[in-house]
Amino acid sequence: MRVMAVYNACEIPEELYYDVDYDVWVRLEEDGTVTLGMTDPAQAQCGRIVNITLKGVGKALRRGQSAAIIESAKWVGPFPTPLSGVIVAVNEGFRSDLLLANKDPYGAGWLIRLRPTNFAEESKVLLTGSAAVEAYRKKIDQRKVHCIRCAG
Amino acid sequence: MEPIRVVDVGEVSPVASQAVYHAVAYAMEDATPDTILLVTSLKPYVSIGYHQDAEKEVDLEYCAQAGLPVVRREVGGGAVYLDRNQVFCQWIFHRDRLPARLEDRFSVYIQPLVETYNQLGIPAYHRPINDIQVSGRKIGGTGAASIGRSEVVVGSLMFDFNHELMARVLRVPSEKMRDKVFQSIQEYITTIKRELGTLPDREEVKGLYLQRCARALGRELEPGELTEREWEVVRELEERFSSEEWLYQKGGLRQSQVVKIHADVHVAEVTHKAPGGLIRLTARLREGRIDDLSISGDFTILPAWAVGALEQALRGLPLKPEALHQRMSDIYRALSVQAPGMSIEDLTQALMLLEQIR
Repeated sequence: MRVMAVYNACEIPEELYYDVDYDVWVRLEEDGTVTLGMTDPAQAQCGRIVNITLKGVGKALRRGQSAAIIESAKWVGPFPTPLSGVIVAVNEGFRSDLLLANKDPYGAGWLIRLRPTNFAEESKVLLTGSAAVEAYRKKIDQRKVHCIRCAG
Repeated sequence: MEPIRVVDVGEVSPVASQAVYHAVAYAMEDATPDTILLVTSLKPYVSIGYHQDAEKEVDLEYCAQAGLPVVRREVGGGAVYLDRNQVFCQWIFHRDRLPARLEDRFSVYIQPLVETYNQLGIPAYHRPINDIQVSGRKIGGTGAASIGRSEVVVGSLMFDFNHELMARVLRVPSEKMRDKVFQSIQEYITTIKRELGTLPDREEVKGLYLQRCARALGRELEPGELTEREWEVVRELEERFSSEEWLYQKGGLRQSQVVKIHADVHVAEVTHKAPGGLIRLTARLREGRIDDLSISGDFTILPAWAVGALEQALRGLPLKPEALHQRMSDIYRALSVQAPGMSIEDLTQALMLLEQIR
């Protein structure tokens, strides 16, 4: 069952892992890869995405390096990966709908899938479950975020 | 908190006017002070947004002939013609020293610009999220980016602006569209010179602006210089920004033929294949309504002046199929329009394409 905490309209699914600083969620896949995406607070703060460049499949990234460049109407910035690894897939769905991450950040709006190369070490900074929810409550309060989704 | 370093970089080359704030951002270390740069480009050039496809958005052939460099920036938005008549105000701050929320960050950034214009007698105001306007006209653009370890916000003091060259450097699908872009820029973009009828002393305006920055940020400002290391990064970036690889780098996933004039005003051209021929619409949209429209194409319509009547009748309407259909039905009936293969449905479909690309 999916357990979802909601705070200031921001959804924080408890089964996912988070790098709260980078504002990135991580889902552990059965085949040992990880899927990464923008969190609900991150998409809300960024605003309506008007363009996105995803790094290519096969590209090796170190923790903190940018896996994508995201442009909203008001801001441009990197999407940093919290885990080092090699990109095995990128979300081609953005080609037909740039608003995927604004509409469904934890589902159809995922950005990239990686095969991690230093998971044991780097995953220690990730939070999940109630610890993640608690960290996000603080961050949401501090940043005065109120989440809004673009209409599907 | 330590004072903010202010560096009046003065007049530099086009590429340096962009490289300098990127360099301060990339070179930022723990000990680097938050920095405000004032920069002017000695020569005119075209700056394009991070994700723009240079060949699709800019008339590169014209720019080459006219000797205008084209420089990609790591901040978003559209292509813009820049010259000596703007003073760029570039803020490069440590991540935690500007408001985390973009709305708040722009408020802090825009306040001193608005107050400076007000002080000069121009009734400018902040039009959230990031526009500055005077009676509905935009006076300069602003943008934000996360670069390296810093948060960057950029904008300008708009002393004057070359509306004509702005429209000239863009690649647009037709001269009709260029005319519409030009008219729209004339109508919706203003400057200090236009508002005051004269140009105030530049140094005085910069001084006013810096005083207002200190007040908006509640911090002290201290004149300073860039470090040697920062200049080194400026030179590295100048090289990168001048490379063909950087200029021709393909943009992101979205490409469109919409020119955004300001927050609420867009000019776009769409084509729709109807049974009776191609319909081409060049339109200006304001707050989701048709503000101005040209209909052309290779269809046949009688009486010939019905096209003008339709263009007139559709102005002011929202892009809602029912409203458009109703108004066009009235015209078709009143003028006994005959347009084989170009039904009201075809025109409605063409008009609704404008909504999709906005």
